[in-house]
Amino acid sequence: MSYVGQSMPMMTNARLAAGKGMFVDDVQLPGMTFMAVLRSPYAHARIRGIDVSAAEALRGVLYVATGREIGEQTNPIPETYDTAAVGAKGVSWYALCVDRARFVGEAVAAVVAEDRFTAYEALDLIEVDYEELPAVSDPEQALEPGAPLVEPDWGDNLMASRDIRLGDPDTAFAEADGVVEGVVKSARITGAAIEPRGCVASWDPYKEALTFWDSTQAPHAVRMYLARTLGIADTSIRVIQPHVGGAFGLKLPTFQEEPLCAYLSMKVGRPVKWIETRAENLLVGGHARDTSFRYQAAYKADGELTGIRLDVIADVGAPSALCGWGMSFVTWYCLPCVYKCENSETHLRSVVTNKCPWNAYRGYGKDAASLLMERIMDHIAKATGIDRTEVRFRNFVQPDEFPYPQVSGAMLDSGNYPGALRKVMEMIDYEGFPALQEEARREGRRIGLGIAMELTPEGCSMPGSLMLNGTDSTEVRITPNGNVIVLTGITSPGCGNETGIAQIVADALRCDFSRISVVQGDTETCPWGFGNYSSRSIIIGGSAAQVAGDEIHDKMRQVAANMLEASADDIEVVDEQFVVRGSAGRGGVGFEDVAREVYSNPHGKNMEGIEPMLQSVRQWKMPNVYHQPEKQGRFSAYPSWPYGAAAAIVEVDPESGHVKILRYCLVEDAGTIVNPLLVDANLHGGIAQGIGGAMFEQIAYDESGQPLTATFMDYTLPTAVELPRLEIGHQQTPAPFTPLGTKGVGESGVGGTLGSLCSAIENALPEVDLHLTELPLTPSRIWEAIRNAPVPAGAAA
Amino acid sequence: MSAVKTSITVNGTQRDLDIDPRLTLVYLLRENLGLTGTHVGCTTGNCGACTVLLDGKTVKSCSIFAADVDGSELVTIEGLSTGARELHPIQQAFVDHQGLQCGFCTPGMVLSALALLEKNPTPSEDDIRHAISGNLCRCTGYQFIVESIQAAAAARA
Amino acid sequence: MLAAGFEFHTPADLSEALRLLADKGPEAKVLAGGMSMVPAVNLGLLRPTCVVSLNHVSGLDSIDDSGDELRIGALVRHARIVSDPAIRQHAPALAAAASVIGDVQVRNRGTIGGSVAHADPAADYLPVLVAFGATIVVQGPQGTRELPAREFFLGVMLTQLTADEIVTEVRVPKLPPGAGSGYARLARVEGAFAIANAAAFVDGSRCVIGIGAAVPAPVVTELALGSQPDDAGLERVAEAARAACEDAYDDLSGSAGYRRAMAGVYARRAVSLAIEARG
Repeated sequence: MSYVGQSMPMMTNARLAAGKGMFVDDVQLPGMTFMAVLRSPYAHARIRGIDVSAAEALRGVLYVATGREIGEQTNPIPETYDTAAVGAKGVSWYALCVDRARFVGEAVAAVVAEDRFTAYEALDLIEVDYEELPAVSDPEQALEPGAPLVEPDWGDNLMASRDIRLGDPDTAFAEADGVVEGVVKSARITGAAIEPRGCVASWDPYKEALTFWDSTQAPHAVRMYLARTLGIADTSIRVIQPHVGGAFGLKLPTFQEEPLCAYLSMKVGRPVKWIETRAENLLVGGHARDTSFRYQAAYKADGELTGIRLDVIADVGAPSALCGWGMSFVTWYCLPCVYKCENSETHLRSVVTNKCPWNAYRGYGKDAASLLMERIMDHIAKATGIDRTEVRFRNFVQPDEFPYPQVSGAMLDSGNYPGALRKVMEMIDYEGFPALQEEARREGRRIGLGIAMELTPEGCSMPGSLMLNGTDSTEVRITPNGNVIVLTGITSPGCGNETGIAQIVADALRCDFSRISVVQGDTETCPWGFGNYSSRSIIIGGSAAQVAGDEIHDKMRQVAANMLEASADDIEVVDEQFVVRGSAGRGGVGFEDVAREVYSNPHGKNMEGIEPMLQSVRQWKMPNVYHQPEKQGRFSAYPSWPYGAAAAIVEVDPESGHVKILRYCLVEDAGTIVNPLLVDANLHGGIAQGIGGAMFEQIAYDESGQPLTATFMDYTLPTAVELPRLEIGHQQTPAPFTPLGTKGVGESGVGGTLGSLCSAIENALPEVDLHLTELPLTPSRIWEAIRNAPVPAGAAA
Repeated sequence: MSAVKTSITVNGTQRDLDIDPRLTLVYLLRENLGLTGTHVGCTTGNCGACTVLLDGKTVKSCSIFAADVDGSELVTIEGLSTGARELHPIQQAFVDHQGLQCGFCTPGMVLSALALLEKNPTPSEDDIRHAISGNLCRCTGYQFIVESIQAAAAARA
Repeated sequence: MLAAGFEFHTPADLSEALRLLADKGPEAKVLAGGMSMVPAVNLGLLRPTCVVSLNHVSGLDSIDDSGDELRIGALVRHARIVSDPAIRQHAPALAAAASVIGDVQVRNRGTIGGSVAHADPAADYLPVLVAFGATIVVQGPQGTRELPAREFFLGVMLTQLTADEIVTEVRVPKLPPGAGSGYARLARVEGAFAIANAAAFVDGSRCVIGIGAAVPAPVVTELALGSQPDDAGLERVAEAARAACEDAYDDLSGSAGYRRAMAGVYARRAVSLAIEARG
């Protein structure tokens, strides 16, 4: 039987449902101590001095560290990728602020104490002499001459600025039949995994070795980053990833607290635990998506998009070593998403402000690109009077045009965009909706339907990066008893790829699934790899598993052939029995028989000329990453280009602006599907977070850079009541660049929510010319937009 | 500050404890009693990862001082499964129907589901969604959680 | 961050609780369900030196029918208010308000007395209590005070309660025969604090509306209304509600103007519910 393609629940379910998971806060070691972090109350301040004497004197306090010591004793945290190499400005970011805090919450000092209460109590006793400096919280203001500088050495607040012209936008606009223009702004949001960040560092001063449990996505990367920051050999560090309670990109890079915790364990010679509070998580755990677009789009009378002019301002917060700011580039790089448009002019500015740095978050800028393009498509539809779906059909890259080179350099691998849109239109009954809408209107209810496409490139690989990398490895071992252990460099912070990998390996080995166990997230045992991000696990780690499994199977097949005195080409496997083709049920050798033969008779006749043991570690490199533009004619960091078509039906209460989502459908192309149940599970999560960011979530600051959203009371996540039943459909165009045809799926589902919900809300109120321009789509914003919307001439009120 | 003498029954075992008044119930369970299946996601009573049964009713154990439950009976996720490996039928429904991903919210979610089904054995989808609205999940979009609870209800019928 | 430590008392009767408050002074805090207080301590926003829990005080958790009033003990938890037959019959808007507080877990622990004493502007009970003309009973070293709900709430988390007093009971007048009540609210997500909420009490042509969440402390307004008001009649309700919300405030969930407008919308909806629910 084949496991790939079958729905199987995650292998981790029983343990987690029993409450027997091992999350980082569950790690308990003899002599454990607790770290608490003192954070800047100012958006911008010079640290003139710190008096720690009272804190040190508190009974139970073991150590107090300040930025001066950290600056002297440790190295800056390495950048995710080389900012200078990609034309951006960078900073030296230490585990504590050395002399200046640049956003509220930046780490200023740390205490290690015998217990949690004492550690927090001691924070109150640290006296910091701050000199408050002017701060800037609004990115437009940050660009004005004379604005306070987040980094005085830079001379301005621009981390990066690019003007990119592709094709001939001037001619496109001059020859257009019309131009639509508008503004759209996506809110500052965060991933808000229900488990906050945390780590446990245990330094063995005699072995001079660090064991480090971390709620992270990438243990190998953390190990190397810790080694560089602490100036010790990476081989003296073991990073263990326990169960991770959600990550979503935000637990990928190394933050200040991880090296800080490790450093302090080395200082006190005891294990140190740090567990982030929710308030800290919302304050400093990394933010995303805060981008505004001013756009003009040139079109022909038949709805063809011919040119785009864009002014993009991304508010990336304070510069750091985190990998978030790159999202602003990815947004540009995705354009024009699933559509064709050769001509564009983009003015892209990544602006720093005195706010929490951006960090990688599910969607990674691709979501914002989809939002922009779908707004443009809707506006062209409105301007031309052509149906919204028709405008999209007219502009799609066509199924016979793959691999399709976008002008940005992107090479779209495969797909069928019109097919996905047609499918989702069927699912939601697009043709039948006007009658439904009319019926609702007669009952006094306003319902609307919206559609949107999403494009979610995956498997990111950046040049010069030891964190974002298009390679990984998997080791498959079969024991003499015939059990299979799979060790892999990819990790599963709750997304189920261990199960997918096991399915792939079981199929490659033609063995029963129950033989397989999977080990992930331990640098001591797992081969080198980059963990989990950019939906890379099955496409890259899964491909490595496939190759390793194939290699072992080939050896087993040869040994079985020798045992059966047949040719390996004539061997087939039926119910774990290696048999001569056509003779199933009439003798053969079992999976365990072959394993035992390999291990127990390495010098016997069946093993002549065959390398002993059944172990294989194999690496996989995505073949369609382009890092040599001078030779390859393009730069493309993304090898996998999943996409989707989304449709939403909402009910709008025009009196309050309150919106209820009645239906949400997504047709997604994940290529070959290894596990339909888990693909759907991941898509549900992506859609839910997309809806959250579209409608409910927002990190807010006041003008002075003080945060206004410190708890889940203010940062409102959708509950089971707000989210509708999610309807998923699939369109499968196998990827040409992976052995199984798999595509990434972990971030899919986010992008389509933003545009489709805007579209649906506008569609619910045809009596006004509603233009939603700012996320999240809160009741008050929708209410204001309705009040400010012009009533189109001739429309019935 | 003086510790408060508190007697409670946890998963059927009586405990006599001296409790630091600052200690909330969730940390008592996790750090003093080693019951780490109850999780901390916010400490403000929003996320529900710390949900336990207090005298038969679900509560958020991050928002209750441990010293305040003298004489009470507590059941945590560890109290649901009877044997070393056995799962309560609701837990099994979550396992079979993929009603979890990272598993961090799951213990609280399972207890909220249990409380619902004890009160309302045949809940509608809307009943289920309201009953778990105090348990935030960031992975699943709640879809398979709702389906797991529906399956558990059907299995009890 | 966290409190440096505090004394914790679990008195068994009210007099002991009152004595503790008198002894310990204004830094002593009264704890009921704790749904607001414990998170505030966890966040370090509240750092008491002494906490006096009411959870073991006897006699505060009854619901009695005194003839023309329901006398609800301060320690009655929200879930019981949702399901209590007497409250559902005689003060249905109060049960309706209780049913949307927080979530199941919060309703299982949170208490009406705690909510009243805490006086969060967005609390669901407050507009109901002012619309019904409820009485808040408090006890202190000087004895018992019976304070009209309409005068009790002074501002954001500010009431007439002094530091040495305890809310012991909430007395809600029973709906007269033929009268109706309703409660309506707008919130971002299930369980979140309301942006605007309103309760209506309709008896004959008398229509009393309590409005909360949009304003720092609940307000009440009254008007005469026909028994089957048309759109113009309901618009007068909205107008009265908006007029009563001069003090509407801005925050992330909406501007003062939006809140005022929502006070109007939800007052009208509460009145419609009350008219529908008339006996």
